[in-house]
Amino acid sequence: MNEAAPFLEISDLCVTRSGTIELDHLSLTLMAGDSVVVIGETGCGKEALLRALGGFPDRNEAISGTIRFAGHEPRHASRRLRPPVRTAYLPNPRSHPFAPQASVLSQLSRVVARKLNAPLASAREELRLALERFAGAPTPALLDCTPAQLDPVSMAWGLLAAAMAQTPEFVLADHAFADLGPIAVKALLHALNEERKRLGFTLLYITGGLQPTARLDARILVMRQGKIVEEGDAPRLMSGHAHAYTRTLYQAMPLLSLERPKRKTARGQPLLQVHGLMLRLPDPAEEHASRETLSFELRRGASLALVGEEGSGRRRLMRALLGLERAPAGRVVFDAVDLNILSEAMVERLRRRVAFITGTDEALDPRMSLWDTVDEPLRAHLDLSRDLVSGYREGALKRVGLASHNGRRIAGTLSAFDKRRLQVARAIVGAPLLTVVDEPLLGLDAFAQTIMREVLKDFRVTQGSAFLVITSDFTVAQALADDAMVFKAGKIVERGPIVDILREPKQPATRELIEAVTLGAPDLSQATASV
Amino acid sequence: MLEYAARQAGRLALGLLGAVVIAAAVSAVGMPHARGPLPFLAAASHRLFDFVRLDFGHSAISGLPAASELAANLPATLALVGTGGFLAVLVGVPLGFLFSISSARRAAAPMTQLVTAVPVFCAGLAIAYGAVHLLHWPVSVNAAADARIFADGAFPMAAPAVLTVGFAGAAAVQLALRRAASLSSGEAFRTGLKRMGLSLLEIERIYVVPRVLAGLAASAGEILLSLFSAAVVAEWVFHRPGAADLFVKSVALEDWNMAALIVAVFAALTLLAEFLGRIAAHAIAHGDAP
Amino acid sequence: MPAQTISPSLARTLLRATGWCGLGLIAIAVALSDFLARAPAGAVGMGAMLEAPSADHPFGTDLLGRDLLSETLHGLSVTTIHALIAALVAIILGGLAGAVAARLPRPLGQSARGIIGVFAAVPALLIAIIIIGLSSRGLAPLAAGLAAAPLAFVRAFDRVDTQSSHAYYARASGIAAATLLRRDLIYEFRDTLASVAARALAAVTIILSTVSFLGFGATPPARDLGLMIAAAKTTYLSAWWTASFPAVALIALIFFARMAAGLEEGERP
Repeated sequence: MNEAAPFLEISDLCVTRSGTIELDHLSLTLMAGDSVVVIGETGCGKEALLRALGGFPDRNEAISGTIRFAGHEPRHASRRLRPPVRTAYLPNPRSHPFAPQASVLSQLSRVVARKLNAPLASAREELRLALERFAGAPTPALLDCTPAQLDPVSMAWGLLAAAMAQTPEFVLADHAFADLGPIAVKALLHALNEERKRLGFTLLYITGGLQPTARLDARILVMRQGKIVEEGDAPRLMSGHAHAYTRTLYQAMPLLSLERPKRKTARGQPLLQVHGLMLRLPDPAEEHASRETLSFELRRGASLALVGEEGSGRRRLMRALLGLERAPAGRVVFDAVDLNILSEAMVERLRRRVAFITGTDEALDPRMSLWDTVDEPLRAHLDLSRDLVSGYREGALKRVGLASHNGRRIAGTLSAFDKRRLQVARAIVGAPLLTVVDEPLLGLDAFAQTIMREVLKDFRVTQGSAFLVITSDFTVAQALADDAMVFKAGKIVERGPIVDILREPKQPATRELIEAVTLGAPDLSQATASV
Repeated sequence: MLEYAARQAGRLALGLLGAVVIAAAVSAVGMPHARGPLPFLAAASHRLFDFVRLDFGHSAISGLPAASELAANLPATLALVGTGGFLAVLVGVPLGFLFSISSARRAAAPMTQLVTAVPVFCAGLAIAYGAVHLLHWPVSVNAAADARIFADGAFPMAAPAVLTVGFAGAAAVQLALRRAASLSSGEAFRTGLKRMGLSLLEIERIYVVPRVLAGLAASAGEILLSLFSAAVVAEWVFHRPGAADLFVKSVALEDWNMAALIVAVFAALTLLAEFLGRIAAHAIAHGDAP
Repeated sequence: MPAQTISPSLARTLLRATGWCGLGLIAIAVALSDFLARAPAGAVGMGAMLEAPSADHPFGTDLLGRDLLSETLHGLSVTTIHALIAALVAIILGGLAGAVAARLPRPLGQSARGIIGVFAAVPALLIAIIIIGLSSRGLAPLAAGLAAAPLAFVRAFDRVDTQSSHAYYARASGIAAATLLRRDLIYEFRDTLASVAARALAAVTIILSTVSFLGFGATPPARDLGLMIAAAKTTYLSAWWTASFPAVALIALIFFARMAAGLEEGERP
């Protein structure tokens, strides 16, 4: 291959879909071995770019322009042809890329076999070798189960290994590691970066979040409305000497702060009192089968973050606190009532003062209209006049920025960002005593994340509801809570005010979680210096 | 898998018990002294007790034991349902797959709707008309034709009834297939695997077809239901003796012992087919087809 | 226009609209049947015996010289009205009850599902025949509705997703089961009532006409289409029109109802 010639040349690429412009005369040149991260909001055109490059544009897209790979004739971008170079596609495991009834390992092996034109057995061997190269990746045996039985992080490792086993020349990563939790994302991005150095492929990574821009040694393209508004490397774009759009993008990047916040709350009555709660029965096989129990208090208006990775037991504690699941031992007193002695019906009455804001948008009934969704807590629990209901509803929708939406729109047709804000509006009208905020930024792009964070902060300050924040991201925890409990493998390893934890993390698990979200700056002191 | 099979077996057992209870109730209705709720309950439980001892009573028409009467008639019906079912799978599966391809589906949809909107008895009469006028077969819809008149009459005599049942079965089979195919047509894994590099044919063959077949297997009970309904009509239209025909006559002449037993047997067979279909679907959908 | 250029949702809407238009036409024919028919129901000797279709008798005449056009119109009206009653019974006792039962406390709902499930394992035709045999032929519409109800019950029950995460979160924030049931009824029925009703209409029409054909349905002088076709059995091999026109009317009713319901059972509107 001629080193001087560009690996990929895109000229004048235009994509329109039913009248909307997705890509606007985009031209781009990549050299062999280049690594490029394309970042932008949802709908900025990055997906259309990826589809055109991969040779799988949507059927209802009108496309013009040409794409030329090194050593090949330029071809019209609208043709549904696979790229003439060995191309690996890296999807996000949350986009359900696997057939549900078959084993993930067998599907990945089949992909590798197909791409290498090799028999299944040798493809499986290639996949095993690739998995072995990654520290922290699951073994092939662990991947040998259906997608439903597998966690997304293991699937992401499998997908990465399958892509690398193809010894690709070109890798298209489609939000590949979004929403997998900071620790996993860091490890996966590190592995991808190392593999790129080893194999020398060209990488195009499209993303809505900022993690990949900071962790891959890559050229960053900032896209907006089908155009590239800026390109450069991470330090320059973060420095502040950039296009206004890029500046706002990077302002959105949350940083940890070591400053002690003014404690504004927690003087009120206790809302939740936990005495000797045991989250799981001691495992008799364990050597130190200690009966670990938990006691703490959450006051009205206070806020507690449960920080840990997926599956570390945060939600189990939350369910025990709300009486959704009986803990083996211990007492939970909610609003001065012991949940253990209440009937199910009474617990249900108590839970009327609990609201949920979750990262899974399935928490909303997809059949209900926007207005009905917000009205339901009012109608179900209170006897209010029509005017009062619509007044509360209007107020709540205004607070989250949904007031201008058509109220009869069905929740299932809303975007992820709108659904998330709708959940907040629904929580606001319920005037909850306790709000459970569960990974609230999942699946949102950087801009939406910023707004969502502000909406939640505003909610917390003005409503005076206590917050129980479930997250794997210390920046989210710090934005929404004062105290934290750090979870690791079903146990609480550290607890206390967040600033204290950040200043002096005592456990390796905590340190790992903190390091996973210190973007751009390798150590914490620099991160705080830039605040 | 074992746990699933055990759960399904439990459901089957409960279903069979339910079928026997229903049969006991139906047969108790016919008893002259079972008027009013309490006598009825007493009669029904008495009948249930008889059923458990495998005493199914006597037919009010022939005076023979109901069980032996059924044993004489059931094989003919089962043969009819079996051959009809075979024909249904033979015709319905290719048609179902053809119609589940999205472009063919839209073009063929009104046509399939029209064909499957034909009630079985109309289809039976149409088949008889065709057999008489086009093939000149000795088919009669008004009286039982005597097979001895025609030396080679066995096939033309049986064919229209089998065709009628097969027609109804094929409609049910292709509907079940199309339903399963439409459920898996919008799934994200097609796009995911395609973009990762598998060919469309490979994805369909290895990952989609097993799911669709599993869907078909899961509808086995429903398909058998339509086959039994069709058998009732076919035996009646073409004057073929069989359990289904016997059922119609029993109800018409208020022979409730006989009717109850036939209903129980049909329900049991359907529940059994549903059970086997569910197990097969579970096995197909969870193993990776080679 | 070739099928490929029409978007799938538009094609579906067009097909369903065709179905509803067809049902509308049938409704008009039923409403005006006394006006459109040349002879009152069952009037014998309007023409010669078994007269082939002609200008005088566009559908021909039957064995008793009854004008088949008039008879078909009357039969269609009887069948349609009976089918509407039966569909109503099936929807209320089947679909509605199934949706409600799914939101009952789990043991209660599951046992109801189990009991009704046994009835759903008996062909609806046999259930209808037994019910009519036990009561009277005048109750055929009710019997057909009752016979179709178990399957409708089971379908509606299974359709309610009690494990859905929105229901979980609703319960976790103190929303009562009654409110969830209200959601199911309002939203599910808003979205699907029309197609559920049309599908039920098609299903009970088949049961009703088959039952009549076998001699358990409508009693003369009120003849429905199934009974007309049964009566034509003796003549239709030589006089095709005696069975064909009632059959076409019957198939049209079922066909349009199916079209109005949408193409597939599993399809969501």
